[in-house]
Amino acid sequence: MKDRSSTNYQRSAWAFMGPGVAVVVLVLYLPVVYTVYLSFTEYGGLGSPVFAGGQNYVTMFADPAFLGSVVNTGIWVVGTLVIPVGFGLFIAYLSFGLRGAGILRIPFLIPYALSGVAVGVVFSFVLQNGGALSQVLAFFHLPGADTRWLAEAPLNTIVMIIAASWQGIGVNALLFTVGLQSIPKEPLEAARIDGASGIRLFTSMIWPLLRPSTTIVVGLSIVNSLKTFDIVQAMTQGGPNRVSETLGVTMYKDTFVNSDYGLGSAVAVFLSVITIAASVIYLRRQLTIGTGSGTPAEVTK
Amino acid sequence: MISRIVRTSILAVLGLFWLVPIYLLLANASKSNANYSGDELWIPGNPIELWNNIVLVFSTTDVPSGLGATAIYAIIAPLIAVVLGSTIGYAVIVLRLKHGFFWFFVVFCGTVFPLQMMVLPWFDVYARTGLFDTTGGMLLIYAVVATPFSAFVMRNFFAGISESVFEAAVVDGAGVWRTFTRIYLPMSTSALAVVFILQSTWVWNDLLLSLILTQSPSTRPVMPLLNALQSAEGGGPGYTVVLTAALIVSIPAALLFLFTQRFFQRGLALGQY
Repeated sequence: MKDRSSTNYQRSAWAFMGPGVAVVVLVLYLPVVYTVYLSFTEYGGLGSPVFAGGQNYVTMFADPAFLGSVVNTGIWVVGTLVIPVGFGLFIAYLSFGLRGAGILRIPFLIPYALSGVAVGVVFSFVLQNGGALSQVLAFFHLPGADTRWLAEAPLNTIVMIIAASWQGIGVNALLFTVGLQSIPKEPLEAARIDGASGIRLFTSMIWPLLRPSTTIVVGLSIVNSLKTFDIVQAMTQGGPNRVSETLGVTMYKDTFVNSDYGLGSAVAVFLSVITIAASVIYLRRQLTIGTGSGTPAEVTK
Repeated sequence: MISRIVRTSILAVLGLFWLVPIYLLLANASKSNANYSGDELWIPGNPIELWNNIVLVFSTTDVPSGLGATAIYAIIAPLIAVVLGSTIGYAVIVLRLKHGFFWFFVVFCGTVFPLQMMVLPWFDVYARTGLFDTTGGMLLIYAVVATPFSAFVMRNFFAGISESVFEAAVVDGAGVWRTFTRIYLPMSTSALAVVFILQSTWVWNDLLLSLILTQSPSTRPVMPLLNALQSAEGGGPGYTVVLTAALIVSIPAALLFLFTQRFFQRGLALGQY
Protein backbone atom coordinates (compact mmCIF):
# COMPACT_ATOMS: atom_id res chain seq x y z
CA MET A 1 0.00 0.00 0.00
CA LYS A 2 3.08 2.20 -0.04
CA ASP A 3 2.28 3.50 -3.48
CA ARG A 4 -1.02 4.91 -2.31
CA SER A 5 0.36 8.44 -2.46
CA SER A 6 0.97 8.00 -6.16
CA THR A 7 -2.57 6.83 -6.88
CA ASN A 8 -5.34 9.22 -7.71
CA TYR A 9 -6.14 10.42 -4.20
CA GLN A 10 -3.86 13.45 -4.51
CA ARG A 11 -6.56 15.57 -6.05
CA SER A 12 -9.13 14.75 -3.38
CA ALA A 13 -6.45 15.19 -0.76
CA TRP A 14 -6.00 18.77 -1.90
CA ALA A 15 -9.75 19.30 -1.86
CA PHE A 16 -9.65 18.35 1.84
CA MET A 17 -6.43 20.21 2.64
CA GLY A 18 -6.91 23.33 0.54
CA PRO A 19 -9.56 25.24 2.50
CA GLY A 20 -7.74 24.84 5.82
CA VAL A 21 -4.36 25.86 4.45
CA ALA A 22 -5.91 28.78 2.57
CA VAL A 23 -7.68 30.33 5.57
CA VAL A 24 -4.68 29.81 7.86
CA VAL A 25 -2.31 31.49 5.41
CA LEU A 26 -4.77 34.28 4.66
CA VAL A 27 -5.99 34.99 8.18
CA LEU A 28 -2.91 34.14 10.27
CA TYR A 29 0.22 34.46 8.15
CA LEU A 30 -0.60 37.52 6.01
CA PRO A 31 -1.38 39.65 9.09
CA VAL A 32 1.94 38.58 10.64
CA VAL A 33 3.77 39.82 7.58
CA TYR A 34 1.73 43.02 7.56
CA THR A 35 2.52 43.68 11.24
CA VAL A 36 6.23 43.28 10.54
CA TYR A 37 5.85 45.79 7.69
CA LEU A 38 3.86 48.22 9.87
CA SER A 39 6.59 48.12 12.52
CA PHE A 40 8.81 49.94 10.01
CA THR A 41 6.24 52.63 9.24
CA GLU A 42 4.59 55.68 10.69
CA TYR A 43 0.86 54.97 10.78
CA GLY A 44 -2.12 55.98 12.87
CA GLY A 45 -4.99 54.32 11.02
CA LEU A 46 -5.75 57.26 8.73
CA GLY A 47 -4.28 57.57 5.26
CA SER A 48 -1.61 55.02 4.48
CA PRO A 49 1.54 53.88 6.30
CA VAL A 50 4.68 55.94 5.66
CA PHE A 51 8.01 54.11 5.67
CA ALA A 52 10.07 55.16 8.69
CA GLY A 53 12.96 52.71 8.80
CA GLY A 54 13.88 51.49 12.28
CA GLN A 55 12.55 54.61 14.00
CA ASN A 56 9.84 52.71 15.91
CA TYR A 57 12.39 50.32 17.34
CA VAL A 58 14.61 53.21 18.44
CA THR A 59 11.61 54.86 20.11
CA MET A 60 10.57 51.56 21.66
CA PHE A 61 13.90 50.79 23.31
CA ALA A 62 14.07 54.33 24.71
CA ASP A 63 10.50 54.21 26.04
CA PRO A 64 10.39 53.79 29.84
CA ALA A 65 6.92 52.22 29.58
CA PHE A 66 8.29 49.55 27.26
CA LEU A 67 11.38 48.88 29.37
CA GLY A 68 9.24 48.60 32.50
CA SER A 69 6.98 46.26 30.58
CA VAL A 70 9.92 44.01 29.64
CA VAL A 71 10.94 43.81 33.31
CA ASN A 72 7.37 43.04 34.39
CA THR A 73 7.01 40.36 31.72
CA GLY A 74 10.26 38.84 33.03
CA ILE A 75 8.81 38.83 36.54
CA TRP A 76 5.69 37.13 35.17
CA VAL A 77 7.75 34.41 33.50
CA VAL A 78 9.79 33.68 36.61
CA GLY A 79 6.85 34.09 38.99
CA THR A 80 4.54 31.74 37.10
CA LEU A 81 7.34 29.19 36.89
CA VAL A 82 8.05 29.23 40.61
CA ILE A 83 4.54 29.46 42.02
CA PRO A 84 2.08 27.59 39.78
CA VAL A 85 4.52 25.03 38.41
CA GLY A 86 6.27 24.31 41.72
CA PHE A 87 3.07 24.32 43.70
CA GLY A 88 1.23 22.33 41.04
CA LEU A 89 3.85 19.61 41.32
CA PHE A 90 3.54 19.76 45.12
CA ILE A 91 -0.23 19.22 44.96
CA ALA A 92 0.10 16.43 42.39
CA TYR A 93 2.77 14.67 44.44
CA LEU A 94 0.87 14.98 47.73
CA SER A 95 -2.37 13.69 46.25
CA PHE A 96 -0.84 10.94 44.15
CA GLY A 97 -2.09 7.53 45.18
CA LEU A 98 -4.29 8.91 47.96
CA ARG A 99 -7.84 7.68 48.31
CA GLY A 100 -10.15 10.46 47.15
CA ALA A 101 -7.33 12.29 45.37
CA GLY A 102 -9.75 13.42 42.67
CA ILE A 103 -12.01 15.10 45.21
CA LEU A 104 -9.07 16.66 47.06
CA ARG A 105 -7.91 18.27 43.81
CA ILE A 106 -11.29 19.79 42.92
CA PRO A 107 -10.84 23.03 44.94
CA PHE A 108 -7.69 23.76 42.93
CA LEU A 109 -9.48 23.14 39.64
CA ILE A 110 -12.51 25.33 40.27
CA PRO A 111 -10.61 28.63 39.70
CA TYR A 112 -9.40 27.31 36.37
CA ALA A 113 -12.98 27.29 35.15
CA LEU A 114 -13.10 31.07 35.62
CA SER A 115 -11.92 33.47 32.92
CA GLY A 116 -8.96 35.79 33.41
CA VAL A 117 -11.36 38.72 33.64
CA ALA A 118 -13.48 37.06 36.33
CA VAL A 119 -10.33 36.24 38.32
CA GLY A 120 -9.35 39.89 37.96
CA VAL A 121 -12.72 41.05 39.27
CA VAL A 122 -12.56 38.73 42.27
CA PHE A 123 -9.00 39.67 43.20
CA SER A 124 -9.54 43.39 42.70
CA PHE A 125 -12.38 42.98 45.17
CA VAL A 126 -10.24 41.06 47.66
CA LEU A 127 -7.32 43.49 47.34
CA GLN A 128 -9.08 46.85 47.28
CA ASN A 129 -8.35 49.38 50.01
CA GLY A 130 -10.03 48.21 53.19
CA GLY A 131 -10.99 45.03 51.31
CA ALA A 132 -11.13 41.46 52.49
CA LEU A 133 -7.37 40.98 52.72
CA SER A 134 -6.74 44.23 54.61
CA GLN A 135 -9.47 43.31 57.07
CA VAL A 136 -7.93 39.93 57.79
CA LEU A 137 -4.48 41.46 58.28
CA ALA A 138 -5.91 44.11 60.59
CA PHE A 139 -7.90 41.51 62.53
CA PHE A 140 -4.79 39.49 63.31
CA HIS A 141 -2.75 42.66 63.90
CA LEU A 142 -0.43 41.75 61.07
CA PRO A 143 1.49 44.38 59.13
CA GLY A 144 0.28 45.34 55.68
CA ALA A 145 -3.33 46.21 56.44
CA ASP A 146 -2.81 49.66 54.91
CA THR A 147 -0.90 48.40 51.88
CA ARG A 148 -2.29 49.53 48.56
CA TRP A 149 -1.65 46.28 46.76
CA LEU A 150 -2.22 47.45 43.22
CA ALA A 151 -0.71 50.94 43.42
CA GLU A 152 3.03 50.34 43.26
CA ALA A 153 5.50 48.40 41.12
CA PRO A 154 6.64 45.72 41.44
CA LEU A 155 4.15 44.84 44.19
CA ASN A 156 1.16 45.07 41.84
CA THR A 157 2.79 42.67 39.38
CA ILE A 158 3.60 40.19 42.13
CA VAL A 159 0.07 40.36 43.48
CA MET A 160 -1.35 39.74 40.01
CA ILE A 161 0.98 36.77 39.56
CA ILE A 162 -0.47 35.34 42.76
CA ALA A 163 -3.97 35.84 41.33
CA ALA A 164 -2.92 34.08 38.12
CA SER A 165 -1.34 31.30 40.17
CA TRP A 166 -4.53 30.82 42.13
CA GLN A 167 -6.20 30.18 38.79
CA GLY A 168 -3.50 28.09 37.12
CA ILE A 169 -2.25 25.68 39.75
CA GLY A 170 -5.00 23.11 39.33
CA VAL A 171 -4.19 22.56 35.67
CA ASN A 172 -0.51 22.07 36.36
CA ALA A 173 -1.39 19.67 39.16
CA LEU A 174 -3.57 17.76 36.70
CA LEU A 175 -0.79 17.58 34.09
CA PHE A 176 1.72 16.42 36.69
CA THR A 177 -0.76 13.82 37.96
CA VAL A 178 -1.05 12.41 34.45
CA GLY A 179 2.75 12.34 34.33
CA LEU A 180 3.03 10.58 37.69
CA GLN A 181 0.50 7.98 36.60
CA SER A 182 2.55 7.17 33.54
CA ILE A 183 5.76 6.51 35.49
CA PRO A 184 6.49 2.77 35.36
CA LYS A 185 6.07 1.07 38.74
CA GLU A 186 9.04 -1.31 38.64
CA PRO A 187 11.98 1.09 39.00
CA LEU A 188 10.17 2.87 41.85
CA GLU A 189 9.58 -0.40 43.67
CA ALA A 190 13.23 -1.35 43.14
CA ALA A 191 14.37 1.97 44.57
CA ARG A 192 12.06 1.56 47.57
CA ILE A 193 13.42 -1.89 48.25
CA ASP A 194 16.92 -0.44 48.10
CA GLY A 195 15.86 1.92 50.86
CA ALA A 196 15.20 5.15 48.99
CA SER A 197 12.33 7.19 50.38
CA GLY A 198 10.97 10.69 50.83
CA ILE A 199 13.01 13.45 49.29
CA ARG A 200 15.70 11.12 47.99
CA LEU A 201 13.17 8.96 46.16
CA PHE A 202 11.73 12.11 44.67
CA THR A 203 14.94 13.77 43.53
CA SER A 204 16.71 10.70 42.23
CA MET A 205 13.81 8.72 40.75
CA ILE A 206 10.54 10.56 40.31
CA TRP A 207 11.83 13.93 39.15
CA PRO A 208 13.92 12.50 36.28
CA LEU A 209 11.08 10.17 35.22
CA LEU A 210 8.66 13.07 35.27
CA ARG A 211 10.70 15.00 32.77
CA PRO A 212 8.26 14.73 29.80
CA SER A 213 5.47 16.31 31.86
CA THR A 214 7.81 18.93 33.28
CA THR A 215 8.89 19.97 29.80
CA ILE A 216 5.29 20.51 28.73
CA VAL A 217 4.23 22.32 31.90
CA VAL A 218 7.31 24.56 31.96
CA GLY A 219 7.12 25.29 28.22
CA LEU A 220 3.44 26.16 28.40
CA SER A 221 3.96 28.24 31.49
CA ILE A 222 6.72 30.31 29.89
CA VAL A 223 4.87 30.84 26.62
CA ASN A 224 1.58 31.71 28.32
CA SER A 225 3.17 34.09 30.81
CA LEU A 226 4.94 35.94 27.99
CA LYS A 227 1.51 36.56 26.47
CA THR A 228 -0.14 37.71 29.73
CA PHE A 229 -2.96 40.15 29.01
CA ASP A 230 -6.37 39.38 30.55
CA ILE A 231 -5.63 39.55 34.27
CA VAL A 232 -3.55 42.72 34.01
CA GLN A 233 -6.10 44.41 31.77
CA ALA A 234 -8.84 43.45 34.22
CA MET A 235 -7.03 44.40 37.44
CA THR A 236 -4.88 47.46 36.76
CA GLN A 237 -5.15 48.08 33.01
CA GLY A 238 -1.38 48.32 33.21
CA GLY A 239 -1.49 51.27 35.59
CA PRO A 240 -0.98 53.35 37.53
CA ASN A 241 1.13 55.27 35.01
CA ARG A 242 1.83 52.12 32.98
CA VAL A 243 4.00 50.59 35.76
CA SER A 244 2.28 47.18 35.79
CA GLU A 245 2.09 46.62 32.04
CA THR A 246 3.18 43.39 30.41
CA LEU A 247 4.24 43.29 26.75
CA GLY A 248 0.77 42.17 25.70
CA VAL A 249 -0.78 45.16 27.45
CA THR A 250 1.87 47.57 26.15
CA MET A 251 1.15 46.49 22.58
CA TYR A 252 -2.58 47.02 23.17
CA LYS A 253 -2.03 50.46 24.74
CA ASP A 254 0.41 51.75 22.12
CA THR A 255 -1.77 50.55 19.29
CA PHE A 256 -5.37 50.94 20.33
CA VAL A 257 -5.24 53.60 23.04
CA ASN A 258 -2.46 55.85 21.73
CA SER A 259 -3.13 55.02 18.04
CA ASP A 260 0.57 54.59 17.32
CA TYR A 261 0.30 51.59 15.00
CA GLY A 262 3.99 51.59 14.11
CA LEU A 263 5.20 51.50 17.70
CA GLY A 264 2.52 48.96 18.68
CA SER A 265 3.64 46.72 15.82
CA ALA A 266 7.26 47.00 16.91
CA VAL A 267 6.24 45.82 20.40
CA ALA A 268 4.27 42.97 18.81
CA VAL A 269 7.31 41.92 16.78
CA PHE A 270 9.51 42.00 19.89
CA LEU A 271 6.96 39.92 21.83
CA SER A 272 6.68 37.44 18.95
CA VAL A 273 10.41 36.92 18.67
CA ILE A 274 10.81 35.98 22.34
CA THR A 275 7.61 33.93 22.38
CA ILE A 276 8.66 31.93 19.32
CA ALA A 277 12.11 31.36 20.78
CA ALA A 278 10.47 29.99 23.93
CA SER A 279 7.93 27.94 21.93
CA VAL A 280 10.58 26.08 19.99
CA ILE A 281 11.64 24.36 23.21
CA TYR A 282 8.36 22.63 23.76
CA LEU A 283 6.79 22.56 20.29
CA ARG A 284 9.59 20.31 19.11
CA ARG A 285 8.61 17.90 21.81
CA GLN A 286 4.91 18.30 21.26
CA LEU A 287 5.19 17.42 17.58
CA THR A 288 6.86 14.12 18.37
CA ILE A 289 4.20 13.04 20.88
CA GLY A 290 1.53 10.68 19.65
CA THR A 291 2.41 11.03 16.00
CA GLY A 292 1.73 8.07 13.84
CA SER A 293 3.99 6.04 11.62
CA GLY A 294 6.11 7.48 8.89
CA THR A 295 6.24 11.10 9.96
CA PRO A 296 9.72 11.31 11.49
CA ALA A 297 11.27 10.44 8.18
CA GLU A 298 9.25 13.14 6.51
CA VAL A 299 10.39 15.74 9.02
CA THR A 300 13.92 15.47 7.77
CA LYS A 301 12.93 16.12 4.17
CA MET B 1 -0.51 5.30 57.04
CA ILE B 2 0.37 8.38 59.08
CA SER B 3 1.89 9.97 56.02
CA ARG B 4 -1.40 9.39 54.19
CA ILE B 5 -3.35 11.17 56.90
CA VAL B 6 -0.88 14.04 56.94
CA ARG B 7 -0.99 14.37 53.17
CA THR B 8 -4.77 14.28 53.12
CA SER B 9 -4.99 16.92 55.83
CA ILE B 10 -2.52 19.25 54.14
CA LEU B 11 -4.45 18.98 50.88
CA ALA B 12 -7.79 19.50 52.59
CA VAL B 13 -6.59 22.62 54.43
CA LEU B 14 -4.96 24.05 51.32
CA GLY B 15 -8.11 23.24 49.34
CA LEU B 16 -10.30 25.15 51.78
CA PHE B 17 -7.89 28.07 51.62
CA TRP B 18 -8.13 27.92 47.83
CA LEU B 19 -11.88 28.27 47.98
CA VAL B 20 -11.78 31.50 50.04
CA PRO B 21 -11.90 33.85 47.00
CA ILE B 22 -14.83 31.83 45.62
CA TYR B 23 -16.58 32.17 48.98
CA LEU B 24 -16.00 35.93 48.97
CA LEU B 25 -17.38 36.13 45.44
CA LEU B 26 -20.55 34.24 46.39
CA ALA B 27 -21.00 35.95 49.75
CA ASN B 28 -20.75 39.46 48.34
CA ALA B 29 -22.70 38.79 45.16
CA SER B 30 -25.51 37.96 47.61
CA LYS B 31 -25.67 41.39 49.21
CA SER B 32 -27.63 44.39 48.07
CA ASN B 33 -25.55 47.28 46.91
CA ALA B 34 -27.55 49.73 49.04
CA ASN B 35 -26.92 47.91 52.32
CA TYR B 36 -23.44 46.93 51.30
CA SER B 37 -20.76 48.06 53.67
CA GLY B 38 -17.08 47.25 53.75
CA ASP B 39 -17.37 45.90 57.31
CA GLU B 40 -19.40 42.85 56.36
CA LEU B 41 -17.24 41.42 53.61
CA TRP B 42 -16.73 38.11 55.35
CA ILE B 43 -20.36 37.57 56.36
CA PRO B 44 -22.48 35.42 54.02
CA GLY B 45 -25.23 37.16 52.07
CA ASN B 46 -28.69 35.83 51.33
CA PRO B 47 -30.24 34.25 48.24
CA ILE B 48 -32.92 36.93 47.87
CA GLU B 49 -30.31 39.64 47.40
CA LEU B 50 -28.44 37.38 44.98
CA TRP B 51 -31.62 37.04 42.97
CA ASN B 52 -32.14 40.81 43.04
CA ASN B 53 -28.59 41.32 41.80
CA ILE B 54 -29.14 38.81 39.01
CA VAL B 55 -32.25 40.74 37.98
CA LEU B 56 -30.22 43.96 38.06
CA VAL B 57 -27.52 42.45 35.86
CA PHE B 58 -30.12 41.33 33.34
CA SER B 59 -32.09 44.56 33.38
CA THR B 60 -29.43 47.27 33.63
CA THR B 61 -26.38 45.92 31.76
CA ASP B 62 -25.61 44.54 28.31
CA VAL B 63 -24.79 41.13 29.81
CA PRO B 64 -27.96 39.40 28.43
CA SER B 65 -27.19 40.31 24.80
CA GLY B 66 -23.51 39.57 25.52
CA LEU B 67 -24.38 36.05 26.65
CA GLY B 68 -26.22 35.49 23.37
CA ALA B 69 -23.33 36.79 21.27
CA THR B 70 -20.77 34.80 23.25
CA ALA B 71 -22.82 31.61 22.90
CA ILE B 72 -22.92 32.03 19.12
CA TYR B 73 -19.13 32.51 18.94
CA ALA B 74 -18.35 29.74 21.41
CA ILE B 75 -20.53 27.17 19.61
CA ILE B 76 -20.17 27.95 15.92
CA ALA B 77 -16.49 28.96 15.67
CA PRO B 78 -15.17 25.74 17.32
CA LEU B 79 -17.47 23.70 15.04
CA ILE B 80 -15.92 25.32 11.97
CA ALA B 81 -12.44 24.72 13.42
CA VAL B 82 -13.27 21.08 14.10
CA VAL B 83 -14.37 20.56 10.50
CA LEU B 84 -11.33 22.33 9.03
CA GLY B 85 -8.99 20.48 11.40
CA SER B 86 -10.38 17.07 10.56
CA THR B 87 -10.28 17.66 6.82
CA ILE B 88 -6.60 18.60 7.19
CA GLY B 89 -5.89 15.52 9.30
CA TYR B 90 -7.75 13.32 6.80
CA ALA B 91 -5.83 14.72 3.81
CA VAL B 92 -2.45 14.31 5.49
CA ILE B 93 -2.85 10.92 7.17
CA VAL B 94 -5.55 9.00 5.32
CA LEU B 95 -5.24 10.35 1.78
CA ARG B 96 -1.43 10.68 2.12
CA LEU B 97 -1.17 14.12 0.60
CA LYS B 98 2.22 14.63 -1.02
CA HIS B 99 4.42 16.77 1.26
CA GLY B 100 1.55 16.45 3.69
CA PHE B 101 3.71 16.92 6.75
CA PHE B 102 5.06 20.16 5.37
CA TRP B 103 1.56 21.56 4.80
CA PHE B 104 0.43 20.32 8.17
CA PHE B 105 3.44 22.02 9.71
CA VAL B 106 2.52 25.27 7.97
CA VAL B 107 -0.96 25.11 9.50
CA PHE B 108 0.32 24.09 12.92
CA CYS B 109 2.85 26.94 13.09
CA GLY B 110 -0.06 29.36 12.92
CA THR B 111 -0.26 28.92 16.71
CA VAL B 112 3.27 30.05 17.55
CA PHE B 113 2.58 33.75 17.01
CA PRO B 114 1.00 35.69 19.85
CA LEU B 115 -2.38 37.10 18.83
CA GLN B 116 -0.89 40.57 19.30
CA MET B 117 1.02 39.90 16.11
CA MET B 118 -2.17 39.66 14.04
CA VAL B 119 -4.79 41.71 15.78
CA LEU B 120 -3.84 45.08 14.33
CA PRO B 121 -4.09 43.98 10.67
CA TRP B 122 -7.41 42.30 11.49
CA PHE B 123 -8.66 45.52 13.01
CA ASP B 124 -7.33 47.61 10.11
CA VAL B 125 -8.75 45.36 7.38
CA TYR B 126 -12.04 44.84 9.22
CA ALA B 127 -12.45 48.60 9.63
CA ARG B 128 -11.94 49.08 5.88
CA THR B 129 -14.15 46.23 4.71
CA GLY B 130 -17.06 46.59 7.09
CA LEU B 131 -16.34 43.34 8.92
CA PHE B 132 -15.50 45.26 12.09
CA ASP B 133 -18.07 44.72 14.82
CA THR B 134 -19.91 41.96 12.94
CA THR B 135 -20.80 38.45 14.08
CA GLY B 136 -19.42 36.98 10.85
CA GLY B 137 -16.10 38.73 11.28
CA MET B 138 -15.69 37.42 14.83
CA LEU B 139 -16.67 33.88 13.83
CA LEU B 140 -14.10 33.87 11.02
CA ILE B 141 -11.24 34.89 13.29
CA TYR B 142 -12.16 32.66 16.23
CA ALA B 143 -12.56 29.69 13.88
CA VAL B 144 -9.25 30.20 12.08
CA VAL B 145 -7.29 30.84 15.28
CA ALA B 146 -8.66 27.54 16.62
CA THR B 147 -7.87 25.58 13.44
CA PRO B 148 -4.15 24.73 13.97
CA PHE B 149 -4.82 23.05 17.31
CA SER B 150 -7.77 21.22 15.81
CA ALA B 151 -5.62 19.99 12.90
CA PHE B 152 -2.96 18.89 15.37
CA VAL B 153 -5.33 16.77 17.45
CA MET B 154 -7.17 15.29 14.47
CA ARG B 155 -3.98 14.39 12.63
CA ASN B 156 -2.70 12.55 15.69
CA PHE B 157 -6.02 10.81 16.12
CA PHE B 158 -6.30 9.66 12.50
CA ALA B 159 -2.71 8.40 12.66
CA GLY B 160 -3.93 5.90 15.27
CA ILE B 161 -6.63 4.44 13.01
CA SER B 162 -5.60 1.40 11.02
CA GLU B 163 -5.05 1.86 7.29
CA SER B 164 -7.21 -1.17 6.61
CA VAL B 165 -10.26 0.89 7.55
CA PHE B 166 -9.72 3.10 4.54
CA GLU B 167 -8.88 0.17 2.28
CA ALA B 168 -12.01 -1.69 3.32
CA ALA B 169 -14.12 1.37 2.61
CA VAL B 170 -12.57 1.72 -0.84
CA VAL B 171 -13.12 -1.95 -1.58
CA ASP B 172 -16.75 -1.51 -0.57
CA GLY B 173 -17.02 1.26 -3.12
CA ALA B 174 -17.24 4.29 -0.80
CA GLY B 175 -15.69 7.49 -2.14
CA VAL B 176 -13.25 9.60 -0.18
CA TRP B 177 -15.96 12.03 0.91
CA ARG B 178 -18.31 9.28 2.05
CA THR B 179 -15.49 7.53 3.87
CA PHE B 180 -14.71 10.79 5.64
CA THR B 181 -18.24 11.65 6.73
CA ARG B 182 -19.60 8.15 7.35
CA ILE B 183 -16.57 6.34 8.75
CA TYR B 184 -13.78 8.63 9.96
CA LEU B 185 -15.85 11.38 11.58
CA PRO B 186 -18.09 8.99 13.54
CA MET B 187 -15.00 7.10 14.70
CA SER B 188 -13.43 10.28 16.06
CA THR B 189 -16.17 11.70 18.28
CA SER B 190 -13.95 11.72 21.37
CA ALA B 191 -11.16 13.66 19.64
CA LEU B 192 -13.69 16.02 18.08
CA ALA B 193 -15.15 16.61 21.54
CA VAL B 194 -11.72 17.42 23.03
CA VAL B 195 -11.10 20.03 20.36
CA PHE B 196 -14.58 21.49 20.57
CA ILE B 197 -14.60 21.78 24.36
CA LEU B 198 -11.15 23.35 24.68
CA GLN B 199 -11.71 25.84 21.88
CA SER B 200 -15.19 26.68 23.05
CA THR B 201 -13.83 27.54 26.50
CA TRP B 202 -11.10 29.64 24.96
CA VAL B 203 -13.57 31.61 22.84
CA TRP B 204 -15.90 32.07 25.81
CA ASN B 205 -13.11 33.50 27.96
CA ASP B 206 -11.39 35.60 25.29
CA LEU B 207 -10.82 39.24 26.12
CA LEU B 208 -8.18 40.53 23.71
CA LEU B 209 -9.89 39.90 20.37
CA SER B 210 -13.37 40.81 21.49
CA LEU B 211 -12.15 44.01 23.13
CA ILE B 212 -10.53 45.16 19.92
CA LEU B 213 -12.87 43.85 17.22
CA THR B 214 -16.32 44.49 18.67
CA GLN B 215 -18.15 47.56 19.85
CA SER B 216 -21.93 47.34 19.82
CA PRO B 217 -24.08 45.37 22.29
CA SER B 218 -25.23 42.92 19.61
CA THR B 219 -21.71 41.67 18.87
CA ARG B 220 -19.78 42.32 22.08
CA PRO B 221 -19.28 39.14 24.14
CA VAL B 222 -19.32 38.95 27.93
CA MET B 223 -15.66 39.30 28.91
CA PRO B 224 -15.10 42.84 27.58
CA LEU B 225 -18.51 43.75 29.05
CA LEU B 226 -17.47 42.48 32.46
CA ASN B 227 -14.17 44.31 32.12
CA ALA B 228 -16.03 47.54 31.36
CA LEU B 229 -18.39 47.09 34.33
CA GLN B 230 -15.39 46.53 36.56
CA SER B 231 -13.48 49.62 35.44
CA ALA B 232 -16.56 51.87 35.57
CA GLU B 233 -16.24 51.97 39.35
CA GLY B 234 -18.08 54.85 40.97
CA GLY B 235 -20.29 55.59 37.97
CA GLY B 236 -20.83 51.85 37.51
CA PRO B 237 -23.58 49.61 38.80
CA GLY B 238 -21.96 48.99 42.19
CA TYR B 239 -19.60 46.31 43.30
CA THR B 240 -22.06 43.63 44.35
CA VAL B 241 -23.70 43.80 40.93
CA VAL B 242 -20.31 43.55 39.19
CA LEU B 243 -19.50 40.48 41.29
CA THR B 244 -22.85 38.96 40.34
CA ALA B 245 -22.10 39.66 36.68
CA ALA B 246 -18.71 37.94 37.08
CA LEU B 247 -20.52 34.96 38.54
CA ILE B 248 -23.11 34.82 35.76
CA VAL B 249 -20.64 35.06 32.87
CA SER B 250 -18.43 32.40 34.46
CA ILE B 251 -21.12 29.78 34.95
CA PRO B 252 -21.47 28.45 31.36
CA ALA B 253 -17.74 27.84 30.87
CA ALA B 254 -17.41 26.52 34.43
CA LEU B 255 -20.23 24.00 33.91
CA LEU B 256 -18.75 22.88 30.61
CA PHE B 257 -15.44 22.38 32.37
CA LEU B 258 -16.82 20.49 35.35
CA PHE B 259 -18.89 18.13 33.21
CA THR B 260 -16.15 17.42 30.73
CA GLN B 261 -13.09 17.24 32.97
CA ARG B 262 -12.09 13.94 31.38
CA PHE B 263 -11.79 15.58 27.96
CA PHE B 264 -9.96 18.53 29.44
CA GLN B 265 -7.40 16.27 30.97
CA ARG B 266 -6.77 14.60 27.65
CA GLY B 267 -6.66 17.86 25.74
CA LEU B 268 -4.41 19.55 28.26
CA ALA B 269 -1.85 16.83 27.94
CA LEU B 270 -1.70 17.81 24.29
CA GLY B 271 -0.53 21.17 25.46
CA GLN B 272 -3.12 23.69 24.51
CA TYR B 273 -3.18 25.79 27.65
